[in-house]
Amino acid sequence: MSESKTTSLYDFHLSKNAKVIDFAGWSMPFSYDGTLKEHHYVRESAGYFDVSHMGRLRLNYSQIEEINYLICSDLKNISNTKALYSIFTSEDGTAIDDVIFWKFEDDLILICNASNTNKIKTHLDIHSINYEDLTMNTDLIAVQGKNAIDIVSNIMSVPNKFSTSKEGKYVYARTGYTGEDGLEVMVDINDTLGFISELEAKGVKPCGLGSRDTLRLEASLPLYGFELTDDISPIEAGLKWTVTNKDEYLGKDVIDHQIESKEHKHLKRFKLNAKQIARTGTICVSDGVEGIVTSGNISPILGYPIGFVLFKSNPADDLVEFDIRGNLIEGNLLYKRFLS
Amino acid sequence: MSETKYLETHEWYIVDGDNVTVGISDYAQGELGDIVFVTLPEVGQEFNKGDAIVEVEATKTVAEAYAPMNCVITEVNSNLETEPELINNDPVGEGWMVKAEIKEMDDSGMSYQQYESFIS
Repeated sequence: MSESKTTSLYDFHLSKNAKVIDFAGWSMPFSYDGTLKEHHYVRESAGYFDVSHMGRLRLNYSQIEEINYLICSDLKNISNTKALYSIFTSEDGTAIDDVIFWKFEDDLILICNASNTNKIKTHLDIHSINYEDLTMNTDLIAVQGKNAIDIVSNIMSVPNKFSTSKEGKYVYARTGYTGEDGLEVMVDINDTLGFISELEAKGVKPCGLGSRDTLRLEASLPLYGFELTDDISPIEAGLKWTVTNKDEYLGKDVIDHQIESKEHKHLKRFKLNAKQIARTGTICVSDGVEGIVTSGNISPILGYPIGFVLFKSNPADDLVEFDIRGNLIEGNLLYKRFLS
Repeated sequence: MSETKYLETHEWYIVDGDNVTVGISDYAQGELGDIVFVTLPEVGQEFNKGDAIVEVEATKTVAEAYAPMNCVITEVNSNLETEPELINNDPVGEGWMVKAEIKEMDDSGMSYQQYESFIS
């Protein structure tokens, strides 16, 4: 095993008594004050996350046609100051990675999952797309929460939702992964601590990957490796809204066929009226259709267990029975997001 | 009352005459992270040493607490139903889990010092 990679903030995290875990080959903070407390910082006020383990690649605007061929969304025709969530699809229509593009007039920043950075780089190489890897020279700080925008507006000008901006030492977009408003800010590693002290002076609290996971799950957002994999398409993961690419793209035939036939796996949200959490890998049955839990945890805001389950086909019923360590626990499928 | 003893499975217990009080260690609660649900046994339920008595769901993972000796449950800490965080905040005090009548004494647990070197 090679040594875990660290972000430029590793010593800073230790100085904050962070619990550190290995995640996708990186030593990352799991929590500082505790996952539930950090969850509530974001829902009630604001928190910041070091997400510098995520890959950051600068792409040439001149290759936008070629890039557009590799994703299921329309990157080409959105305006030049937009941020776009999209999925790199394989020939089979499955997800190679779910990513964010920051579109600027002169270049594009591609943010990919840490576990997929090498895979994406290889994929780009195969398709002769040039990139500059910024991952080790920059940090990525997500400032998220009910008050996040109010607070960061004292540091930089705030673009519209899902829009990008460059200002001084900051390259950023009004995006996030918590269900709350906020910015994701890329900054040179020499300027990160200065930015963080400004955030802390304004009462923004450090949050780890533990709360990032409970927040994204409660916000009904997928995590690559769980809700999306090399074996699951955007349609199967309930992400049909990302399929906006009108041109030819890799996997289009399969995806179009899935949209039309509805014959594919189906990812559903569920809740339990129990004190057990149906965690990743838990088997369940609904209406005779077998499913497997992709992610499950408590919803700290709702106070009951929630999660995502992937069914082999679309179950007709909303009742579902989970096998949790040999006990059969009843739950319900939900057709709306967890938080209204 | 005897001293607090610890098991390799991270429970603590205190013997008081024919009775024993059981919970999980500070180390265990720290490893589990935020505890969100606790499933307690029924009063009168009988357990053998090593049986799972309590199920603890935390944000990070799920764990069980095991019986330190053969015993019958006489009282459960029902505060944990509404305040599972008591285990995080005060694992060896307010966060106790069950009291039980000892059926077969087994006081082979580790002293705190022994347990400390076991977990370090």
